[in-house]
Amino acid sequence: MPLNGSAADTAAGPLRAQLKTLLNTHDPAFWPRLRDASTSADDCADVLALSTLRRRALAQHPAPPDVFGRPLRIALIGGYSLFPLQELVTHLLAMDGHAPDLFTGRFDNDTAEILDANSELYRFRPDVVVMLPSHRRCAYTGALTDAIEDVRRQVDAVSGFLLDQCRRLHERSGAAIVLSNFALPSACDPGPFRTRTLASDWSFRKAVNLQLGLDAPAAVHICDTEFMACRRGTWASEDPRGWFESKQIGAPALLLDIAREVVRIVRALHTPPKKVLVLDLDNTLWGGVVGDDGVDGIDIGDTSPRGEAFKAFQTYVRSLTGRGVLLGVCSKNNPETAREPFERHPEMALRLDDFVAFTANWQPKSDNLRAMAARLQLGLDSFVFVDDNPAEIDIVRQYAPEVTTLLLGPDPSTYVRQLQDSRLFEPTSLTAEDSDRTRLYRTEAARQELQDSATDIEAFLSSLQMHVTIADVSTIDAPRVAQLINKSNQFNLTTRRRTEADVAALVGDAQMIAFSLRLADRFGDHGLIGVVIGRITDDEHGRALDIDTWLMSCRVLNRQVEHEALNELMRRAMARGCRVVRGRYLPTAKNGLVRDLLPRLGFTGAGESPDGHAYTCDVGTYRPHATHLHRTGTPQ
Amino acid sequence: MTDAQVLARLQTIFDDTFLTPVTVTPELSAGDVGEWDSLTHISLMVAVERNFGVRFRVGEVEALRNVGQLARLIVTRLGEQ
Repeated sequence: MPLNGSAADTAAGPLRAQLKTLLNTHDPAFWPRLRDASTSADDCADVLALSTLRRRALAQHPAPPDVFGRPLRIALIGGYSLFPLQELVTHLLAMDGHAPDLFTGRFDNDTAEILDANSELYRFRPDVVVMLPSHRRCAYTGALTDAIEDVRRQVDAVSGFLLDQCRRLHERSGAAIVLSNFALPSACDPGPFRTRTLASDWSFRKAVNLQLGLDAPAAVHICDTEFMACRRGTWASEDPRGWFESKQIGAPALLLDIAREVVRIVRALHTPPKKVLVLDLDNTLWGGVVGDDGVDGIDIGDTSPRGEAFKAFQTYVRSLTGRGVLLGVCSKNNPETAREPFERHPEMALRLDDFVAFTANWQPKSDNLRAMAARLQLGLDSFVFVDDNPAEIDIVRQYAPEVTTLLLGPDPSTYVRQLQDSRLFEPTSLTAEDSDRTRLYRTEAARQELQDSATDIEAFLSSLQMHVTIADVSTIDAPRVAQLINKSNQFNLTTRRRTEADVAALVGDAQMIAFSLRLADRFGDHGLIGVVIGRITDDEHGRALDIDTWLMSCRVLNRQVEHEALNELMRRAMARGCRVVRGRYLPTAKNGLVRDLLPRLGFTGAGESPDGHAYTCDVGTYRPHATHLHRTGTPQ
Repeated sequence: MTDAQVLARLQTIFDDTFLTPVTVTPELSAGDVGEWDSLTHISLMVAVERNFGVRFRVGEVEALRNVGQLARLIVTRLGEQ
């Protein structure tokens, strides 16, 4: 069994005594306290003791439903004894809101368990399998002086074998795979020569670890035991007594590191990553208070150690945009004052166009963050707020608890490390789109900001430089048109759905008119945003056009696109000799938005019926609406 | 430190570890205490090593048959320091 030889007792003693009292008196405060204690415990034996308390409590009473939530079937297999690691994993998963059901493989039986399709492992039907291969299988079998090509072949063989096992396991079970790599050895032998050959344990394990990470498929998540053991110290992470007594992976401290990492990976499997990093300004992005010290008095840049530290923090923050993280500012300042350093100070690494949102006012920061989330159309739970002021952090924690907060302090030289070690912006995979996300969101944010600032709606619409392209629905367009028809719920007059084939059938039908609208403005291209379909009928009163379908994307509300659509519809009705255009609003649970669309555009009511409200518009007296949209493309 | 002194100090460690009171005697062993499972055993041995500032050698803990032998081992290790 693993024993920790440290002479110092932990601070957890009194806390554990308190928990024992709560448990013995059946106090409901037991569970939240147990969770807090488990989150902060940094000692393996303490977590084991807390786990024992959890088991006792569960044996006495069923846990309250809010304590354990999502069921999770997790298997641990590998070349080690997995007790007490399994206990740490179970306990920490339970404290993280899971209801874990655990399967533990037999010591060093992982290969057979994976290869045998009828093994207990597969019968267990795991959601997640954690695989901890033995370091004994990760060693070069030849001599230290062998040719590097020979050693490389074995590196590839070891990593290839393990990844094949993971693939097989994933294909057969559908489980997500967590693969632990190998801790580096701590012993001095063979001395610095270890770095001059790939055949030493040190170099060989590093090479295998690297290959595992580079080649791992998406379903395989690397538990970076090499990194964790290095961070803790290879010497402190090894436990020879624990290995010989009970085949432990390493020292108890390393077991706890691995258990916490497994829980973190499991959480990341079903938790979307953080998207937005919102920063305070004074004493967060620069030293001093710009409102008091002036733009020339703040501490930023390479002229002082403190200024250099702030600049390094800015540089790191800026680098996060390359991972797809969106940046925002939330500062108690006058807006002009807050912007000045970004515009004027030559040493600033961050510039205004690095941010998708910039809020400087005297409102509570919790309110500002809510407004920012609404404007960016992102959930508050994807926000991280960073400030050096505990009072501001506290307000956000209280009034916008969905936001993850990070209190910086007190030394700016550690700001970068504090943000990095928060582990809030770790990529699981990166795409080219991620590095472009700031631009996409900034265009939307700029558009909204323009709307907020424009007092005159006409001036705003004019400033957008909108171009609408109206064209007959074509067979090439049919898939996009059908998609829009079937997903539009709000701005949709009749909510008639059509398949791609239905749409294609409209093309060339002399009784039907069907056109689509595309919109671009100076901030970007919105693509296809509207579809109008009409049917021409003749009766004793003459020829009429019935609006069959009129829908638009909600992204382009209040842009006069509907006016331009009607102008086009009336123009076509006239060209086809129609006397009147008839429209109908068919109410649904979601299209209240367009209840008054037709009367608002000049239609007159023509009665109610059980299936909706009917309206008509006289073609001969129709006067086209004036809009700020420029028409492009050729009218039919 | 004598065996008796070690046993007295072990009592405080046992009080901290177990929920229901356990009286430490030289004859006491894991089989006598319901709560004393393999998990509690790890916690207990970690607490003992910490509290006395000793480190047992490979295989020693497994060979112990009762608390009296544990106390003896602690006294031996302490004597070597």
